[in-house]
Amino acid sequence: MKLLPGLAALLLILGVVTTAFVGLLLAAGPEPADLPWGYVASVVRFTLLQSVLSTALSLILGAAIALALARRTSFPGRSLFIAALNLASVLPAIVVVFGVIEVLGRAGWLGAGLRLVGVDPGAWLYGLPGILIAHVFFNVPLAARVFLASLAAVPGERWRLATQLGMPPATIFRVLDLPVLKREAPAIAALIFLLCFTSFAIVLTLGGGPRAATLEVAIYASVRFDVDFARAGLLALLQVAICLTLVLPILWLGRRPAESAASGVTAARPDAGDRRVRLVDRIVLAVGGLLVLPPLIAVALSGIAAFASLFAADVGKATATSFAIAIPAALISLLLALGLAATARALRGAGRSGAAGLMSVSSGAILAVPPVAVSAGLFVVLRPLADPFALAIPLIVLVNALTALPFVLRQVEPPLILSAERYGRLAASLGISGAWRIRLVDWPLLRRPLLAALAIATALSLGDLGVAAFFGSGTILTLPLLLYQRLGNYRIAESASVALLLALLVLALFLAAQRWSGETLARSR
Amino acid sequence: MLEVADLTLDYPDFHARYTLEVPTGALCGLIGPSGGGKTTLLHAIAGFERPTSGALRLDGRDLLPLAPAERPLSMLFQEHNLFPHLTAVQNVGLGVDPRLRLSGAQQRDVDAALQRVGLKGLGGRRPAELSGGQRQRVAIARALVRKRPLMLLDEPFGGLDPGLRREMIALVDALRRDERLTVLVSIHTPEDLGEAADLMAFVDGGRVLAAAPPREILALGWQPAIDRYFGR
Repeated sequence: MKLLPGLAALLLILGVVTTAFVGLLLAAGPEPADLPWGYVASVVRFTLLQSVLSTALSLILGAAIALALARRTSFPGRSLFIAALNLASVLPAIVVVFGVIEVLGRAGWLGAGLRLVGVDPGAWLYGLPGILIAHVFFNVPLAARVFLASLAAVPGERWRLATQLGMPPATIFRVLDLPVLKREAPAIAALIFLLCFTSFAIVLTLGGGPRAATLEVAIYASVRFDVDFARAGLLALLQVAICLTLVLPILWLGRRPAESAASGVTAARPDAGDRRVRLVDRIVLAVGGLLVLPPLIAVALSGIAAFASLFAADVGKATATSFAIAIPAALISLLLALGLAATARALRGAGRSGAAGLMSVSSGAILAVPPVAVSAGLFVVLRPLADPFALAIPLIVLVNALTALPFVLRQVEPPLILSAERYGRLAASLGISGAWRIRLVDWPLLRRPLLAALAIATALSLGDLGVAAFFGSGTILTLPLLLYQRLGNYRIAESASVALLLALLVLALFLAAQRWSGETLARSR
Repeated sequence: MLEVADLTLDYPDFHARYTLEVPTGALCGLIGPSGGGKTTLLHAIAGFERPTSGALRLDGRDLLPLAPAERPLSMLFQEHNLFPHLTAVQNVGLGVDPRLRLSGAQQRDVDAALQRVGLKGLGGRRPAELSGGQRQRVAIARALVRKRPLMLLDEPFGGLDPGLRREMIALVDALRRDERLTVLVSIHTPEDLGEAADLMAFVDGGRVLAAAPPREILALGWQPAIDRYFGR
């Protein structure tokens, strides 16, 4: 009986993903010789190039910022700086795009400044530079957060030892910092690479055309503009193959045990007082601040200036549609996660940890077959049976629910496991079971994580552009779609208010999730 | 002589003021309840905590102006004494040169120190490949190659079995006699010190409430706080 919820969830997840996959296989067809291989190769090449560069830049700057923050434990504005990093990592991609355009675009702050000295910046932002800047904006905070947490977990005794041995900063970096960075780097690099590899909104808006298309955008264009399903199928299969080879190492690396946490109070770092190190830290923090703060400020200032345009009818309609999609998507995601987690717990209790692991891992199926690939597959399968555009809202809800699932499961599974570990035997010995056990034992531990999971899933769905654009463009209007359309029509002032509204909604949800889960704002885009 | 005179440390929730004298070459055991201030005293001597007033001298030399690395002492902690990705030889070598640029003679010193602590042939192993006792021996070997006259041990053998704890105390005792080291060791189980300790100091509430030969400290009725600590 306890297996049923998990098996039902597993069936739905694998059913959707497999259906999409079969759809892609059918679309790709048996004769790939007719396909434009040159174009496909160029898309794959560019996708890999921007992903590698974005990952490398994010890792280097993220590590440098983490080291600077680890050494500078108190400076004016440190908390604000960290809050800005956290905020940057949870904003919807399309909002970030708006912020970057406002600061660095031809009509933005940089363009205005350059025109004052008689220089026209041109459209330099569109293409690889813009994609890299936006990806780095997103992923530097993610890398910095992971690295900083690991550096902070270095036991205080080691810092005291380094102090006692009189280690110079270079040796401290080599002996203490570098092993931590090296330990974390593979998993975080793989994750960032995957996020950049499947990035949609940023590439669609800042790519500047087919020359800078990634697989994700090329799939979208093949279906929506060229109506070339064979090409879309092939591109999606390529993407799935590459993502699968990346997801497996991520899952494996994610299971690697971290070093035990510090046993005592964290000690002061002996290299913090070095004058050269201090200078380097200041430069790094200034660069980090210049990367992250201006787009955030631009979103806030431009949004406030264009506040009146918020009351346009289409904004209200888009907000309502966004929530009409996001709330059911969050609820479905939560139900699936609870089913998987409850069954995984029962399996673990029965000593079948392998099957329990499969339940947990299945939530990440969407990482291997990204949302746009799933959408393309479902589109191809549904097309002969029904009008996919007529089914836009249910399809978007379904794909968004699957997209949020790994993050929702991360919230609800640990308290369920904890409740079993702490009170499982006690409950069994007292004969507490069924609904009474849920109410008495599980619910008190699960209540806040459930709310946090709902908030995160709602926020993720609210920020979605890819799936909504795939099924809904032209038929429905969500906030990200509205922002995308206004940006495309150069209605910058009207875009500003939508960007700020979307940012505030997502931020409020993540803050609520943070409060309920007790975690810092996590990147779950 | 290690002299700790009215060494005062102020925290929002804790006030400590220590006075203690340990003769050169003596082994002094610090005992007392958890949270009583034993570690704070050792950290203050090592330079990890900054006293607001008082004096700290070793053989007449004022230690307070010195940075932790300049103080004539080595300290061992209960855990995390070794860097996990470095071999035993490298961990000991850090005591000779923190940049790990060792000459041939220095390498031989490191090997000799490892041999002294009974780890001959194990120098190439990383901490994860050593037992708890062996890891602490590596840390002691590093303290040896540093050739500092004062050794501070903060419950260094707490995670070991009783037999191994006594074995390690015996090792420390033998080394301090050979090297004329002054040793301060905080310990949860005073009986582990056996005959090794010349002096025992009872620390509670941020004060050294009593310092005397072990037999006197352990004697019934010496101080109510000590009796309470022993559950008498």
